[in-house]
Amino acid sequence: VISLPTEVDGHRIRVGCDVVPFADVQNSLAAFGDGYLRKVFTTSEIDDCQGSNRAHGLAARFAAKEAVIKVFAEPDMAFPWREIEVTRDGPLPLLRLSGSLAERAQQQGWRSSSLSLSHSDCHAMAVVLVVCGAPESD
Amino acid sequence: VIQKKIRDVLVAHGRMAVNAGEVDDQADLYDLGLTSHASVDVMLALEDAFDIEFPDEVLKKSTFASVRNIEQVIQDLVKAVA
Repeated sequence: VISLPTEVDGHRIRVGCDVVPFADVQNSLAAFGDGYLRKVFTTSEIDDCQGSNRAHGLAARFAAKEAVIKVFAEPDMAFPWREIEVTRDGPLPLLRLSGSLAERAQQQGWRSSSLSLSHSDCHAMAVVLVVCGAPESD
Repeated sequence: VIQKKIRDVLVAHGRMAVNAGEVDDQADLYDLGLTSHASVDVMLALEDAFDIEFPDEVLKKSTFASVRNIEQVIQDLVKAVA
């Protein structure tokens, strides 16, 4: 029996994942339209998700936001979805945090992140990996 | 009256496997099948039903974890508006 370490060389690795059905996003768009978009997505994300695959892109971005929330591992923390943004660097999706979540990530010692998005014919999924150094002392 | 409106919204938008009209007001809605994405719909429908807006600071998992929790947050928001 071995007890696996929770950190390597002083760095903790955190992982979050989530799956979102396209149909859920399509239903939200049909029921709440712009109200849904404005509550959850940044202007840039809305601009990036246009055309016939709009629900696919939005579902993947929502999955990424929920995956990030799981990485924080603080259920009583407020998570304004718009403070978590998926951007692109060529083919690579990237994460950008702002506001209270950017501050909290800094306090938790987040150093770098990696985001992977995928989808099947009916679901989108996201995996987020974050490397943390020492958390800031309070 | 507040709980009745909350339950009506959960039935319409919660997409849970159980009848939200009859669940215990302290039952864990996530355990009963409420997903994070469905909680967005529930929040938007509650904003319409009560003519309120959920500010960023109440966008917590725990806010939507039970009928009782939702009721408490709405009561506070309605009071703040009045």
